[in-house]
Amino acid sequence: MKDTLTENKPVLTLSKVCKNFGGVVAADNISIEMFGGQTFGLIGPNGAGKTTLLNLITGIYSSDCGQIHLNGKNITKAPTHKRALLGIARTFQHPRLLERCDIQTNIQLGIDLANKRRRKNPQQLQSEITMLLGYAGLKNVNLSDSVEKLSYGQRKMLEIVRSLLSEPAVLLLDEPAAGLNSKEMEYIVALIKVAIEWDIAVLLIEHSMDLVMGICDQITVLNFGHQIASGTPAEIQENQAVIDAYLGGSGHAAC
Amino acid sequence: MIQRLKSLNKPLLLVAAVIAVIGSIFIPSITSSYMLRVLNITMISYLCVLSVYVLLGMCGQNSFAQAGLWGVGSYITANVMMKLGFPTLIAFAASTLGTALFAFVLGFAFFRLRQYYFTFASVGLMAILSGLFMNWKEVTGGAMGISDVPDFSIGGFIANTESSMYFVIIIVCVIVSLLMKVLFKSALGRSFMAIRDNEMAANCLGVNSLLTKSIAFAISGALCGAAGALYANLTGYLSYQSFTYQQSTMYLVMIMLGGTVSPVGAIIGTFIISLLQEWVRPLQNYMQLIYGVGIMILMIVQPEGIIGGGKALYERYVNRKQARSDIKQSL
Amino acid sequence: MNLQLLISGTTMGIVYGLIAMGMVLIFRSVGVMNFAQGEFLMVGGYFCYTFNQILHLPILVSLLLASLLMGVVGVVFMRTSYWPLRKAQTKAIIVSAMGASIALKEGARLTWGAIPVSVDKVIKGTAKIGTATVQWQYLSIIGISVVLMIFVYILLEKSFIGHIMQATAQDQYMASLVGIPVIVSIGLTFALSAIITGIGGGLLAPLFFLSNTMGAASGAKAFAAIVIGGFGSVPGAIVGGLIVGLVESFGGAYISTTYQLVLIYIVLVIVLMFRPQGIFGERIQEKA
Repeated sequence: MKDTLTENKPVLTLSKVCKNFGGVVAADNISIEMFGGQTFGLIGPNGAGKTTLLNLITGIYSSDCGQIHLNGKNITKAPTHKRALLGIARTFQHPRLLERCDIQTNIQLGIDLANKRRRKNPQQLQSEITMLLGYAGLKNVNLSDSVEKLSYGQRKMLEIVRSLLSEPAVLLLDEPAAGLNSKEMEYIVALIKVAIEWDIAVLLIEHSMDLVMGICDQITVLNFGHQIASGTPAEIQENQAVIDAYLGGSGHAAC
Repeated sequence: MIQRLKSLNKPLLLVAAVIAVIGSIFIPSITSSYMLRVLNITMISYLCVLSVYVLLGMCGQNSFAQAGLWGVGSYITANVMMKLGFPTLIAFAASTLGTALFAFVLGFAFFRLRQYYFTFASVGLMAILSGLFMNWKEVTGGAMGISDVPDFSIGGFIANTESSMYFVIIIVCVIVSLLMKVLFKSALGRSFMAIRDNEMAANCLGVNSLLTKSIAFAISGALCGAAGALYANLTGYLSYQSFTYQQSTMYLVMIMLGGTVSPVGAIIGTFIISLLQEWVRPLQNYMQLIYGVGIMILMIVQPEGIIGGGKALYERYVNRKQARSDIKQSL
Repeated sequence: MNLQLLISGTTMGIVYGLIAMGMVLIFRSVGVMNFAQGEFLMVGGYFCYTFNQILHLPILVSLLLASLLMGVVGVVFMRTSYWPLRKAQTKAIIVSAMGASIALKEGARLTWGAIPVSVDKVIKGTAKIGTATVQWQYLSIIGISVVLMIFVYILLEKSFIGHIMQATAQDQYMASLVGIPVIVSIGLTFALSAIITGIGGGLLAPLFFLSNTMGAASGAKAFAAIVIGGFGSVPGAIVGGLIVGLVESFGGAYISTTYQLVLIYIVLVIVLMFRPQGIFGERIQEKA
């Protein structure tokens, strides 16, 4: 966790962002600030609007009101691919890989994105790939194999590796630990730590409170599209509204 | 897997390539003029089927307008050479680039639509082009068509025989095939495949759907345009009856037969169907019926085509070998 | 004259609507466009011809028998063209349907020959409506088609079988989990689609003659009808069909007959540009 005093300019800002689907309020007046090298947790019950918020940030949904700024640039109206080019990377609840391509090609897509901004040094790139695959537990995987051969956990790791290789400013992780065993969770933590080391602003949607409380610098809690609390892990765990809506009495996620 | 094959067999492949080159040089001298014409038309179809490979096999967009684009290429060459008096190469460039540009611009209009809507729009485009080909007398000759399109010529060389055109066409095909390889390995090619396999992920990886699909359509247009130019020079006669929706569906069937995953599939599919049509001529009456039923059976048995089937067999073989050695090791 | 054009346009439009409805039923059921729908029209017409002209049965009886046969055709088509590919990629199913369309076309040519034939009219003679002189056949087509459409509506919305078909259309897996025999349900849908389209063929035959290649043009127009009217929507198919019929009729008279099909497709492309989901269709969004 980095010293917040040295990071005074937020990388990603949401100001009063809202989104309605017909009569359903998916997001209401959400404001968030994310800084490079810090992990920002987004928690809340299912259906609270966490993935919706991710979709709003990446531009898959267009916001009905409010603004989104990336490194000072107003991206509220920018299309998804533009935001990716500007440095927003994300993973999905169910990994979105190219099923008919091999693993190398899948990784290469992340590299292609980074190359669009600035050509990567091939040697540095190779060592990055080796390091990331090592942290992700994918060291012994044959890169020319089809992606179909990977297990569910391996796919999630691959998606994160792909995102990291694109040298993003912001990394949005949508429930990366869901469906993973404890060994695989360690890989997730290792990869998040790499992101933090690289000064990336990480947003983590998770239900595993151990992971969230352990690694996040700031947490926002959503319920029914509303931001019901924001603060450090300690503050959130004491917050009565959060306990009632989500955490339950003992500070663990309500099942 | 294919890389493994290649690295194992590099010397073998080189020998095969040399044999293929020498063989193709000798083909004109051992085949009849009629068969050469069939071969030439087949290679021209190959270029159009390649256009389906790029658009569908790589980018996942299904178009029924490819024969229409082929027609556009043909009519451009005919008009540029006959009405404007320009030489072959100018006409060829005009056909290729003109059709590409035409497709690119249309792409921007059509690809705003989600995948299957684009397919419908392509059906509409094909119908509109068909209607224009049949009725726009000034440009296409209407029902009479255009005759006496000049031969392919560069400087003093005039390709006015079947075998001289054969060499022209085969050179174009080889160059185009190599370009396809380059495309496949490029970031652009990868962005096509990203759109095909998972468009939303592609967007989140910085791929501009509209622009990229339009580029794919433009490349497919360039391929059809080149095919059209060669066709005009080869046959000298253009009729709206060649550039039909049925022809577009034929290209689709050819690539599905060969396998949409690789340009080699395009070669295999095109050759098999074109040559089948020739050899089955005595069964003319029942040919179409067999063809229709054959397509249905093909889709049931192997929707991935011959290449896909070959790949699957290879994978099974490799896995079986792997399993056997795993068992041996654990014993 | 306009009244004349209106009636002929509406008649053709309603038949296109029937074909389009057949296509929509299949699309909603299995998620794929049936590229052989036009051939259902053709085959239905030819069945009618066999009963009416060869076996000399009265036209209404012929229509009825033809529709029963078409039901069988629909089921066989489903079993051979779609069912083995139900887990395969969409393009494989499309290509298979294309193959079926060719097979049906050629099969028809080999069975009934290449010379166009016709069947009896439902009601002979002409009627006078206002200033227009209209063949009774046109009016009977409209009448029978409307009855058919009401029947399909009642079947789908109000009957148990209809509910089963709709459930399967919405989610095959869930439907099978609640005990619905999916293959039976899909078979019924295809049968219904083939029946209504086939009847359309029998109705059109006296006006336009049957030939084994008539499937392509009508399929193309029905297709335009679906896109214009709204994808996946049954009322959309009907409205779309009427629009196509009227554009064809008025466009042919006032603009040009040679460019009739082109006109229809220009309308289609315009609709796709400005409202891709058509008039009644719904925009579908992908879930992230």
